Amino acid sequence: MKKKVGFFCLIFFFLVFIVSMPVWAQTPKKPPAKKPAAKPLGVEVIKFGGMGIMSGPLSICGRMIMMGAQSAIEEINAKGGILGSKCELKFMDDELRPAVGVKNVRYLVSEWGAHFILGVDSSGVAMAIGEIMPEMDRIYISTHASTDRLTEELVWKKGIKHIFRTTVPTYQEAILPAMIFKDFMHIKRWAGINCDYEYGYVSWSLFKETLKKYRPDVEFVASTWAPFWTMDFTPHISAALAANPDAIFSTPWGGEGVQLIRQALIMGAFDKIQLWWHPTGATTDFLEAVTSEVKADKFKGKLWVSGRYIHNWLQTPENKAFVERFVKRWAMYPFHPGQGAYDAVYFVKAALEKTRSLKTSEVIKALEGMELMTPAGRKYIRPEDHQAIYPTPAGRPVYDPAYPIAIVGDFKMIPAKEYFRHPPFEPVKISK
Amino acid sequence: MKKTLMILFLIALLSLLPFFVGKYILYMTIHILLLSLFALGFNLLFGYTGLLSFGQAGFYGVGAYACAKILLVVPSLLLGILGGVAVAGLVSLLLGLLSIRHTRIYFSMLTLCFGMMIFSLAWKWRDMTGGDDGLVGIPRAPLEIPGLFRINMAAMESYYYVVLVFSILAIFIFYRLVNSPLGLTLQGIRDSETRAACVGISVRNYRLISFTIAGLYAGLAGALLPPLENTVTPPVAHWSHSAEPVLATLLGGIYTFAGPIVGSFLFYIIKDIIVRFTEYWLICLGIIVLVLVLGFRGGVVSIFSQKGDR
Amino acid sequence: METLAFQGLVGLSLAMYLWLLAAGLTIVFGVLGILNFAHGSLFMLGAYFAFTFYGLWGVNFWFAILLSLLSVGIVGYLMERLFLRHIYHLDHAYQLLLTFGFILIFDDAVKMVWGGVAKIPAMPTFFEGTFSVLGRLFPIYNVFIIGAGFLVALVLWLLFEKTWWGRMVRASASDREMASAIGVNIPTLFTGVFVFGAMLAALGGALGTPVRVVAPGIGAAMIIQAFIITVIGGLGNLKGAFVGAVIVGVLSAYSILLFPVFELFLIFVIMAVVLMVKPQGLFGR
Repeated sequence: MKKKVGFFCLIFFFLVFIVSMPVWAQTPKKPPAKKPAAKPLGVEVIKFGGMGIMSGPLSICGRMIMMGAQSAIEEINAKGGILGSKCELKFMDDELRPAVGVKNVRYLVSEWGAHFILGVDSSGVAMAIGEIMPEMDRIYISTHASTDRLTEELVWKKGIKHIFRTTVPTYQEAILPAMIFKDFMHIKRWAGINCDYEYGYVSWSLFKETLKKYRPDVEFVASTWAPFWTMDFTPHISAALAANPDAIFSTPWGGEGVQLIRQALIMGAFDKIQLWWHPTGATTDFLEAVTSEVKADKFKGKLWVSGRYIHNWLQTPENKAFVERFVKRWAMYPFHPGQGAYDAVYFVKAALEKTRSLKTSEVIKALEGMELMTPAGRKYIRPEDHQAIYPTPAGRPVYDPAYPIAIVGDFKMIPAKEYFRHPPFEPVKISK
Repeated sequence: MKKTLMILFLIALLSLLPFFVGKYILYMTIHILLLSLFALGFNLLFGYTGLLSFGQAGFYGVGAYACAKILLVVPSLLLGILGGVAVAGLVSLLLGLLSIRHTRIYFSMLTLCFGMMIFSLAWKWRDMTGGDDGLVGIPRAPLEIPGLFRINMAAMESYYYVVLVFSILAIFIFYRLVNSPLGLTLQGIRDSETRAACVGISVRNYRLISFTIAGLYAGLAGALLPPLENTVTPPVAHWSHSAEPVLATLLGGIYTFAGPIVGSFLFYIIKDIIVRFTEYWLICLGIIVLVLVLGFRGGVVSIFSQKGDR
Repeated sequence: METLAFQGLVGLSLAMYLWLLAAGLTIVFGVLGILNFAHGSLFMLGAYFAFTFYGLWGVNFWFAILLSLLSVGIVGYLMERLFLRHIYHLDHAYQLLLTFGFILIFDDAVKMVWGGVAKIPAMPTFFEGTFSVLGRLFPIYNVFIIGAGFLVALVLWLLFEKTWWGRMVRASASDREMASAIGVNIPTLFTGVFVFGAMLAALGGALGTPVRVVAPGIGAAMIIQAFIITVIGGLGNLKGAFVGAVIVGVLSAYSILLFPVFELFLIFVIMAVVLMVKPQGLFGR
């Protein structure tokens, strides 16, 4: 056994480790005292650390977050930055894994020097990094991860004030449809094809709980559960259809949602059922994938979709300009992880302009109760749970020759304060 | 004598680390130590006994979840870590009884299986493991022996020392193990099963011992994780996590004592550095694997030994 | 009752993709003795190439599949000749490691070439529509997949039982040295078999194009199932791979319908039981 050589190797590498430290161990043990700089905020560059899923069937969402944040930063920098300090974004892949997310946050804050953390698609990752924000002494703004537990439990109940969210949580998936479809008296039997993780459990449970309140006659006849990386939903679709539902509720999102609906189409699901609620269907990657089907009216008007931002809904000049700039910059229409990240950066800007300080506790206070006009409408950050309050409607995919891809139309809007939950929050009982 | 001096120097270096590096480097070093322990145990099975297990992450996961469950009830660091190790050892003993009757490809497949069974249990058994959310809010409990002492672990530095001490002890024990008759027997079994059997060695028993020890080390690495991260999630038991000690050992040197340790260090450094410059770190790692398997099967250590590989 | 039978039919079409993936894997193992961890990546490449030819460049669907097979065949050829050839004499552990390295490379390579976003082409019109089966609607597409899978099984059986090439391959699988002694060019044969296996995997990936997205990582997600199937059926055994694929496909379809909690766990338990009781698999010798 080459023990001697092994130890020699070990010594050699640790020497390399030590000697090379000036190159990559830039952060000393104690943070340096803020040198008096010309900038009011005390730093030359304000650093935003971003995270999302960058590979696999769901990667469009992580990329959207990056695109939205980057757009906001470029606009702000072009106008002179925040109080004269430029902004910078570093975006990392969290691989949908909480452990990777936590490690990335530690790197971004301790090594790279991030002042703010934003993003994350996966509810699991968001919950994990939310817990360490007090230790990191940084604010985390969620721009996609939608479990209501992030705000209801971590912020409101546990008091972790460092967490904020600029996009609608699972109220959009679960409560909005209950309030819309309660009036569809012919829909009595619901089946669910759901994500086999936090997001799916919460959405389905909250939907059932809410709908039952308005329509005690409704039955939930089947539910199937698909983990990440499900490529073939046909067994799920056929199990759901076997129970003869009137309507289907589905949570798989991103590329998985595209597969689900494509496979459901070929299985003739849209001939059999009356309605399909696909709450993540307003995302532009989904709309692009189903454009030819929408044109040919394959869904027969039965597919209802929603999102947390629909680019063609608000015809305000601000929104139209935002969409135009975004399309020009990225050759893609924006949907909510991007729009939410865009807003997150602007909220930070507004807060910093108010506090003129990067001190976390002061920025938190400034953000609480803040209201901003955004492309998605007026967003108000509720102080109790740091959740941005704003409505997004549901609708059906339609084809409009003015757009190269399908868009959402036939809007049904419900005011935010009617479908958002309010404190005190009763935890959602998870039932399958 | 020279060797002992070198080791003491290394230990001194590691002990003084918190004084001149930041929290993130400390955090990274803890992870490197954990992977070293994980890989060391793996290499006992692979390098010394000739069995390639693709399911070690299962035992890592068992150690992690067991420690987490203990800490959530009784916030005593020692209890959590030792408990995690014990449970992992027990599980690996039981699964070992089922696995070691087979060798080569079947053994690898079976261990892959068992590891993934543990993963799917962790994912599905929400009431026990928290499902895909995992267990959160795990305290970095104080190190205490009731009545004797109690050291608070809130600071990363304090926990680093705990991990360092455990690692040094574990590596020392491992050193004594592989240089004992046990170690030689295992190598004998690796080199020629029939010859070993002819000499009267119970091949199966020794393999089981090796498997259990590998499981104990994986469990130790796993048990040291929850206090660091405050969360445990199912991916710690996934087969892709099992690949890490394999890659680290391959990098460092399969048939050497320090190979897994050197390899763990390199694995983390390479990944961490590559990720800063490009998002395409997988292809870099893949190319390194190719180069190693085709040209440097003795790993990095062999590059320094000039004696060629086995 | 119809529900169960129908679900079984859905499971059968699911099984056909797995069969195509497992067939190549098991042939390669049986002849070359290599368990190719990167086999799922070849499946993924087949899907990507088919998507490119059919979805991006508008090539005729069937022709696109053919081109995809050829493209992956070339990739397989390069993989075998430049890399795998050099490690046949080594311990199987190194073979697993090398092919694992290829998984990493392919996952990033497709990201670099096609971008990391999931894509799906337009649906070919001749696949739209359903048959009425057991009182439910069963897609024409699924019927096609089942048919394709059975056709491949038939072709492979004919190939290996009745043709001269098949005989050579089987001879080399059972006794490499002897085959070489009677004049079989082993290196060329090995390359040929590997390319053949790669093309089978690519076929599985390409046929899924109308209904599945292509994205990095879909190959690695499938390889475990392929392993399970080849182990259940017996490594190197084609009949076993077919039966194994049907078992796994149908079982996962049933578990989604009947006992969703156990799905993941169940498949591994079966594999473990087979490995422990009859490691050569159901049909192995």
